[in-house]
Amino acid sequence: MKPPRTSPNFTFSRRRLKYAMIAIISVAVIGLLVWLQNRNLRHSTFFTGYLLMGSILFLTAFNLRKKIPVLPAFGSATMWMQLHIYVGLSTFAVFGFHIAWRIPNGMFEGLLAFLYLAVALSGVYGLYATRIMPRRLAALKEEVIYERIPALQRQLATSAKRLVLEACESTDVLARFYVNKLATFFERPRSLAYMINPSGRRRKQLLDEITDLNRYLGEQQRPVGAQLSEMVQQKDDLDYHRVVQGRLKLWLFVHIGMTYSLLIISIIHGIMAHAFAGGLR
Amino acid sequence: MNAIGSQIKRPGRWDEPFDETISDEDVFRLKQLDPFRQMDPDAFSRAVPLEGILKNDCRLLDLEKGDIIVREGDYGNSAFLILDGNAIVSLVSLPAEVLGRKESRRLGWLESIAKLWKNSPHRESRDYAVQLEELSYVGAREDEQGTRIFLHDIPRVIPQGRSVELHPGEIFGEISALTRTPRSATVVAGSKMLLLEIRWQGFRDLLNRQPTLRKHVETLYRENSLRSHLREIELLKYLTKEDIEALAEETVFESYGDFRWNKDFKSISRKDISERILSEPVIAAEGDYVNGLLLIRNGFARLSREHGDGHQTIAYLGKGEVYGLRELVANSASEEQQPYMLSLRALGYVDILRIPTPVFERLVLPKIPAEKMPPVRTRTADSKQRRAASRGKSMDAGLMEFLVENRFINGTMGMMIDLNRCTRCDDCVRACAATHNNNPRFVRQGKKHDNWMIANACMHCLDPVCMIGCPTGAIHRDSHNGLVVINDKTCIGCGTCSASCPYTNIQMVEISDRKGKPFTDGYGKPIVKATKCDLCSEHAGGPACQRACPHDALLRVDLSTASTVTSITTRT
Repeated sequence: MKPPRTSPNFTFSRRRLKYAMIAIISVAVIGLLVWLQNRNLRHSTFFTGYLLMGSILFLTAFNLRKKIPVLPAFGSATMWMQLHIYVGLSTFAVFGFHIAWRIPNGMFEGLLAFLYLAVALSGVYGLYATRIMPRRLAALKEEVIYERIPALQRQLATSAKRLVLEACESTDVLARFYVNKLATFFERPRSLAYMINPSGRRRKQLLDEITDLNRYLGEQQRPVGAQLSEMVQQKDDLDYHRVVQGRLKLWLFVHIGMTYSLLIISIIHGIMAHAFAGGLR
Repeated sequence: MNAIGSQIKRPGRWDEPFDETISDEDVFRLKQLDPFRQMDPDAFSRAVPLEGILKNDCRLLDLEKGDIIVREGDYGNSAFLILDGNAIVSLVSLPAEVLGRKESRRLGWLESIAKLWKNSPHRESRDYAVQLEELSYVGAREDEQGTRIFLHDIPRVIPQGRSVELHPGEIFGEISALTRTPRSATVVAGSKMLLLEIRWQGFRDLLNRQPTLRKHVETLYRENSLRSHLREIELLKYLTKEDIEALAEETVFESYGDFRWNKDFKSISRKDISERILSEPVIAAEGDYVNGLLLIRNGFARLSREHGDGHQTIAYLGKGEVYGLRELVANSASEEQQPYMLSLRALGYVDILRIPTPVFERLVLPKIPAEKMPPVRTRTADSKQRRAASRGKSMDAGLMEFLVENRFINGTMGMMIDLNRCTRCDDCVRACAATHNNNPRFVRQGKKHDNWMIANACMHCLDPVCMIGCPTGAIHRDSHNGLVVINDKTCIGCGTCSASCPYTNIQMVEISDRKGKPFTDGYGKPIVKATKCDLCSEHAGGPACQRACPHDALLRVDLSTASTVTSITTRT
């Protein structure tokens, strides 16, 4: 049996330092080579262009690695991820060398630069999101699978409705509250504002209102109020899971989708560069 | 509401007899046979009489020639007494095919890639139907007690001169049943046989009441297993062969708890934690006189300390670990005698080897090098001394309780997910599916504590209760790597393993052919198979789930070792 991948001497900070040092040294060496080429009145753009193209192809290959999980020779996804991050960050410098730190003025080059920046910045956002959002999800009481969220939400809405219907035989206070406040919360998707910036404001508001409602409820209805509070919290957690997990999926979808556009435009750009420079050198 | 509550019959030891069909006439007949004829009924208590044991803890097996009784490597809770006919014990290890197992092998990288292309788009598709009949060495037949597997031709499988014959009145399988160790040999019926299967609880009572039988079993255990068990203990490796011989003569073995802990585990886990701890059998109580060094031979034990009105879990001990050393060393070095500082309680069941204090002081203590001795700490040690002794990384108390309460400590390859790092991308699930014909063998859900989740994936347990009762031997330990694997070809879909797994990590699935059409039997009922994580044992790279996680979130961890868990949870 294979032992766990983590050795006793392993620390994330040590790994970060190691990869960061390698990346900084690599960028410095590339910068030196570019400077030497420019000093010798040679075009460094082909060198940096090929380097950039190679890096992008390598970064794209991470997705291919995910499709072939069985081969040990391909290395672990963790190793690929680390290389992806540091090679990806290094391409910012290579891109800068390639465009000589100027804003491209042609429409095609402009589009290419835009696509590169969109992919690279979405990658940076992804790095941030994958480090921050899991912690927020882990702080919630329950862990849920994204695809099951709609079914769980429906189930919760049905249970809440049934609970209120059963309790409203003796008083209509809960039924009125459900119709006026809770029905939309349980049965409708959350607002766009919540999708953009999910917060616990609505949850707090509803919980406070249920607590206030207690004084109108008899002994028998109070436990129902407590159960409703629990359900409100569950629904809010599910909504939060949906938004945050959705975001973690959406950024990757955007990142990968734009990568393919970038690859196509880059290849065309390479062919054109060679064509206008008198063919392949 | 009724304040008194519902009245029910108090649960009793024999609410669930081993075999409901055993009659009073059967019990009467059994009492006329050896060794029961020689037993004194008055030696048994009124609560657990001999008749009760025979009626409730035994079952009669009618076997045909060639029927496999036990397989080498199987786990079981029963001992067997031959009433009529003879049994054949194979002295050679039989081929995996005969035992219903699969040959363990690793795929080459070309085979691995080719497998990806061959993955079926249909759920749980197979290239074959149930093919037990097609296996050349064995056949299957149904009787009232379920499916029985038999050898077509005994001499073809067990060579002449490489077997031992057992006769009426002889007992076999007792050591394995009492010590929860794998069966050491395969036994088949050498003729038409009548066999009495005695489950562990009943056998233990017979031993307790019959000194001759107990002596016989103890002698067997001392001769066959105890010496090797003692040699396996790290602390005793400094002892000479002669010391071990002397130690084996004086070591006492004890069992606590219930082998069938998995049966009640789910209902017990719903109880309050304080109640649960108090219901666990006490092996050594905090404050008791230190009467020996306790070696965990099998199973798990909880070390706890009284804390307020409850008990706080301090650590868990597993196979090969010892308790009482610190106290024994302190007592030998000082006039002030310390009692046990913590309580040791059985989690499920535990086998203990107890080296009595005088024996320990005479045979073991002088041989342990000074640097291997635990630091002597008196009861009155000041806080500075205590802090110095407990320095280093230790497991979070809450996580410790979580692992113990849910019995995750049984897992040698538990799937531990750091939810602070997991992006819920499901790359692990996809990788698992890709390596298992598009069928994931785990669910990325499970119990969580803080940011750690133990997902529903087979943990390849130290005490694999799932392996008990498999009629065909399909679920077994791989002889090369010790993983618990299922031979899909010989699995008959009885569901015994799935029902036994306390962690619900074995799924029964309906299988279909390569075109997605379900396989059914002659009555139109679907053919089902047991499936679970095999830790990608066929693939050279190890578990695909762990290799596919880009964020270091998913790890396969030996949960039975606290230090391994701590090294994972304290990563920075």
